[in-house]
Amino acid sequence: MGVGRRAFVYLLTFWVILTLNFLLPRLLPGDPLAALLDPSSSDYVYDPEVRAALAAYYGLDRPLPEQYGRYLLGALTGDLGRSIRLNRPVAELVVGRLPWTLLLVGTALLFSSALALLTGTESAWRRGSWADRGLVSASILLANVPVYFVGMMLLLLFGARLRWLPLAGGRTPFARYPSALAAALDIGRHLILPALTLTLAMLGAKFLLVRNATVNILGEDFMLVARAKGLPEGRLKWGHALRNALLPFVAHLAAHAGMAVTGAVFIETLFSYPGMGRLIFESVTARDYPVIQGAFLVVSAVVLTANFLADLISLRLDPRLREGGAVG
Amino acid sequence: MMLMVQDLRVTFLLDGKTGLRAVDGVSFDLAPGTSLGIVGETGAGKTTIARALLGLHPSGCVQGSIRLDGRELVGLSEEAWRAIRWRRIALVPQSVGTALDPVYRVGDQIAEPLRYHLGLSPAEAWGRSLELARRVGLEPRHLRAYPHQLSGGEKQRALLAMALSCAPDVLVLDEPTSGQDMLSRARLLDLLDALRREGGMGLLVISHDLAAVARLTERVAVLYAGQLVEVGPTAEVFQDPRHPYTWGLLHAYSDMSAARDLRGIRGAPPDPANPPPGCRFHPRCTQAIDRCRREEPPLRDIGGRWIACHLGGLQTLLRAEGLRKTFSVDGGEPEERVEAVREATLDIREGEVVALVGETGSGKTTLGQMLVGLLPPDGGRVVLEGRELTAARGKERRAMMSRIQLIPQDPFDAVSPRLTVAEMVREPLDIQGIGTPEEREAKVRQALRTVGLPASPDFLARRAHELSGGQLQRVVLARALVLEPKLIVADEPVSMLDPSEQARVINLLKEIQTERGLALLLISHDLALVRKIADRILVMHRGQIVEEGPGNRIVTRPEHEHTRMLLEAAPRLG
Repeated sequence: MGVGRRAFVYLLTFWVILTLNFLLPRLLPGDPLAALLDPSSSDYVYDPEVRAALAAYYGLDRPLPEQYGRYLLGALTGDLGRSIRLNRPVAELVVGRLPWTLLLVGTALLFSSALALLTGTESAWRRGSWADRGLVSASILLANVPVYFVGMMLLLLFGARLRWLPLAGGRTPFARYPSALAAALDIGRHLILPALTLTLAMLGAKFLLVRNATVNILGEDFMLVARAKGLPEGRLKWGHALRNALLPFVAHLAAHAGMAVTGAVFIETLFSYPGMGRLIFESVTARDYPVIQGAFLVVSAVVLTANFLADLISLRLDPRLREGGAVG
Repeated sequence: MMLMVQDLRVTFLLDGKTGLRAVDGVSFDLAPGTSLGIVGETGAGKTTIARALLGLHPSGCVQGSIRLDGRELVGLSEEAWRAIRWRRIALVPQSVGTALDPVYRVGDQIAEPLRYHLGLSPAEAWGRSLELARRVGLEPRHLRAYPHQLSGGEKQRALLAMALSCAPDVLVLDEPTSGQDMLSRARLLDLLDALRREGGMGLLVISHDLAAVARLTERVAVLYAGQLVEVGPTAEVFQDPRHPYTWGLLHAYSDMSAARDLRGIRGAPPDPANPPPGCRFHPRCTQAIDRCRREEPPLRDIGGRWIACHLGGLQTLLRAEGLRKTFSVDGGEPEERVEAVREATLDIREGEVVALVGETGSGKTTLGQMLVGLLPPDGGRVVLEGRELTAARGKERRAMMSRIQLIPQDPFDAVSPRLTVAEMVREPLDIQGIGTPEEREAKVRQALRTVGLPASPDFLARRAHELSGGQLQRVVLARALVLEPKLIVADEPVSMLDPSEQARVINLLKEIQTERGLALLLISHDLALVRKIADRILVMHRGQIVEEGPGNRIVTRPEHEHTRMLLEAAPRLG
């Protein structure tokens, strides 16, 4: 499949998500207003006239196709509705939170991937040794310990007991930075613990994946031939074994982009980190449906984009996926 | 001497304890500019040898000695091996489809060893790989392609170019023709043959493709269950195999020139984790003696051929020298004497199927009767397993005669019509006085089962006239088998049967011959029929053997006028 076709498929997927996002509240029992406004909350509107006015305000009295048209137009121009809890545009909230999550997840992804690739390949190279067996056991353990438990332990140790790192937040409240460097340092200090927790949470599964994929590749005929060619160990290990193990690894990254966001919800909550995860958590607690929907849309878009990027990388990495090929 | 392999042993640990000896004491050498083939069945250890030569087995698995220009390679560190691999000894691997890394361009993979071994720059290495590609018949576009874009034949060539890249002293080709269609195989063989003629390199061809080995090598070593059983010049070994295994292997190989049906070697190769004691081939060997079960035969020089066999190779089972027989017509003058057989000389080897073909009255039945001792010859002698049958007397003669059984043309000649089936089959045992009555009964039942007849009381009680022609012929065959002979002489065994029954009995005869490892002399006028199972054909005309040769040669290139006449007269449909 070419790049263009892939892009089209992703756009189509995004449109389906958009439509689901529109249809789901309307398919629920009652009307979207009932879904928007929880009867048990203090915001619930009892007066039918006010409800009708509200319905008119939100355009719910229009025919469905018109509603859909307005909804699509709004979504594409960045109008995701207003938060009921904070009475601010959802788009504004998301724009404020998204960079923090991207920073957190991106950092964790980068470190966990790099570590997994290095240790996984080395472990596979020495398969059966005590180091390999130890690493495999440790990563199975790591992959199964709950994220918040790891985060809590790190927080207790480095934050509460040693007081090396801040306990919460994305930056020091009310701080004024004399320079960009100072700002970066402060944000970095706040990033360390949550990013470390998320890195550890992702590391176990990634390590096992790289290690097992590499073990399989080491058994391939072309590895034997590469050895027979008298190539140096580094070339065999990195140039051939890891290079081929990258293919399943990138596919895994694409498939697990969504999982990274889920992990982020726990961690951002635990560390009071001002990202999307915490926004979702807070909105769910307050039943702030417009924010939940908006955040869901944005997260979907981010995950799809990540998938698309992973696909592009796979295409670069694996010539067998390319159409037609380079013969000529 | 460039490459010297001495007593190479490769042992793999199965579950940490049990050792699997894949290669057990193999020795050979390879001089520059010469070529050696290693042939054998799948699992004989061929690929294990190839990998041992490049040090690709885990350390500690390989024992013995591999010397390259006098330098010992066994036990070298991975680092030291690295300098030997590809630079001195290169490999064209067996698994063509998966031997190239799927993510790199073919050209880069050919250039890779050039960069690491010779320190060429990327551009220089690419230039060199273009030259190599030309040499093996690939175009620049093939180098720019990824492995999955090439056909099997192109990949094989790319692997060859890769192996040649550092101009190695020894090139190991592991099953170079496997998985190739016939046309690309032919082109590849031309290419390899041309490479061989360029000289300089020592070429080791490991293959079960005997024709490829015949084409590419000067010497050949036959590998069986991790051991060499025969080594010699390729043309001689293939023309005149001396070890029973080599003989069987060659007969199992299908080539265009063989008119005969394929035959396998009876039994199966041994489990490498649990090889049989003594000679590893003895359970499948037709001539195995007690010593073969106990002692491992060493590979020794027997008349210029290296053979691992206690008996010195394939044995001659029966030899007839200058047999003569003249019949005088009753009451006639001496001039009216008929010379039925004139100076007939023939050999039958262990486990061989020989056909004696000739028209009616050519003397073939007379010759057959002299061979089995039914008719005393006027001159010449018959030697069975090294002892002269024609000179033996009394008990010795009886014992020797039981080693050869005759199946006569007309089954009614063989058996008395008064006897029941049980009695017919048991009679030879009664005459020879073998075993207790119970043992005889058991042997009778077993023989009947072997020839595909029921051993029910009802059937055992039948008499000859109650049986069909095919059934009676099988009873006669069972009768011949109860004495466990080494040779069966079958005189027109199927001429009285209809075509379908003919085919069944001939196939049965062949099957029993293979399974029991007996030799078979098939006397027949029907060249079309016997060529299907005969290893060798003798043509008889007016009491003389006028032509003798491998079945396929006789059928495709007859030399004697009379053979040609017989061939032309053979039945043809359409």
